[in-house]
Amino acid sequence: MIEIKGVAKRYGRNLFALKGIDASLKERVTTVIGRNGAGKTTLIRILSTQLSPSSGTALIEGYDILKDTKKVRQLISSIPQEAQLIGILSPLEQMQLYLMARGFSPSQAKEEAKYALDELELYDFRNAPSDTLSGGMKRKVFVAMALAAKAPVIFLDEPTTGLDPLSRIEVWSAIKRLSSKIILTTHYMEEAQELSNEVMVIDQGNIITHGSVSSLLSTFNGRMRAEKLDGEEFDIKIANVAIKYIEQDRVDEFLKKGYDIKRINLDDIFLSKGVSLES
Amino acid sequence: MNPKFILYFAWYYGFYVVLRGPSYLLASLSLPLTLLFMVTIFTHGTLIAFAIAGGPIAIVAANSINGAADAAFFRIQIRIQDLFVATSITPQNYMLALSLSYLVFSLPGIVLYGILGAYFKVFSLASAPWIIGVLVLLTLTISNLSFIIAGLLKHIRNVWGITAILSIIMTVLPPTFYPYSYLPNGVLYILSISPVTPAAVLLQGIVGLEKMQYSMIVILLVETVVLTLLGRKFIRWRE
Repeated sequence: MIEIKGVAKRYGRNLFALKGIDASLKERVTTVIGRNGAGKTTLIRILSTQLSPSSGTALIEGYDILKDTKKVRQLISSIPQEAQLIGILSPLEQMQLYLMARGFSPSQAKEEAKYALDELELYDFRNAPSDTLSGGMKRKVFVAMALAAKAPVIFLDEPTTGLDPLSRIEVWSAIKRLSSKIILTTHYMEEAQELSNEVMVIDQGNIITHGSVSSLLSTFNGRMRAEKLDGEEFDIKIANVAIKYIEQDRVDEFLKKGYDIKRINLDDIFLSKGVSLES
Repeated sequence: MNPKFILYFAWYYGFYVVLRGPSYLLASLSLPLTLLFMVTIFTHGTLIAFAIAGGPIAIVAANSINGAADAAFFRIQIRIQDLFVATSITPQNYMLALSLSYLVFSLPGIVLYGILGAYFKVFSLASAPWIIGVLVLLTLTISNLSFIIAGLLKHIRNVWGITAILSIIMTVLPPTFYPYSYLPNGVLYILSISPVTPAAVLLQGIVGLEKMQYSMIVILLVETVVLTLLGRKFIRWRE
């Protein structure tokens, strides 16, 4: 379990990346979603002991990230969002170094690395210099690192950004097979819905909502999303797109008005922020 | 301490860079070899022994100072440092691994100068352990200086300019390629701010080209300790 206790991060005098977050992440896979600059990466970096919070702390499996840093680092594996491979080394060499840094023996590290690379369809490229791999393959090598580490808690910061649909499915499949607790961030709502047991939505350094996917979607009370470019009826307007949350029995009415009707998904948690959905 | 990680990292990041990117190696050899050529021509060969003795010092110093670019690149650009922060290794492990990789990267140049030194009877087997000791200390000292520079940088674009300037200042100004006795005592001690100076003076003493200056052992050791402590502080392990 991960317990976040009043974690805040301030840059300079007034710029808050996180504004005192409290949460208990109890489920096996938790997805943190939010817009660019919402504070997702800051939170992940603080939880994975890469960044010090300005105030507050967190417990990872009962260990304090500030007081028991050494123990926490033994428990976690964290893949930074912007991490890139060292171009002149091969995926196998880099995975071996990473796993040895986590305490694996050289031979054990090599075996685990090969296995994880194979699982993500990268085995044939294990000895190629990393700068010859495509962007998606490079990203998958980092996911393979996290998989091979077999850490009880894994942080994946946007693991599938830049991957083609097939590679995303391969990564999802690998994540689903893991027994570790996983905290991941993503921009893809489909990914959050596919993988998560719970979702935490962050906006401007605050948690705006937190719960299971079904419980978050249940706040829409079975509504549908009606969308129309330059539409006259709307709850919110993004650029020129009018968005209205409507009851099921008004679908025909809005279709006749030229609206597109869409099923509610996690996107709508963002879109509907500030919109009253009382029935 | 995770010695296996340190050794594997040093080997992979030192040896494979030489093997897969030989142009880096040639670049690191170009300055000392050019200076060896020029010193030989301008002094009609009288100072060739000094230029040979200074070669390994210049190679180790230049490669280690260029490590600032690596350290900054790993921290700011490709976030490899962050990847290692969230593991069991300590910043000391990481710093030592990178420092040793520069030493491994310097090995072909050191061997080349070893051959030249043996041919011109500058180096002997008896002096080899002392020379290696000085080179190891110099690697650690300059690498730590690199970590300090890398830690102070906010933008990666500044690092190449800074390392290029420092590389020239630190390898050419100190008595690396000329006798230290050419310098007035005061200037010698001012130049000792750069760890290359005590290393070069010691090396000239070890191989018998100049009188041994034992005070330089103390200066080099103090600089190693101070820069190691500062390097640990500035590496920004947990930001």
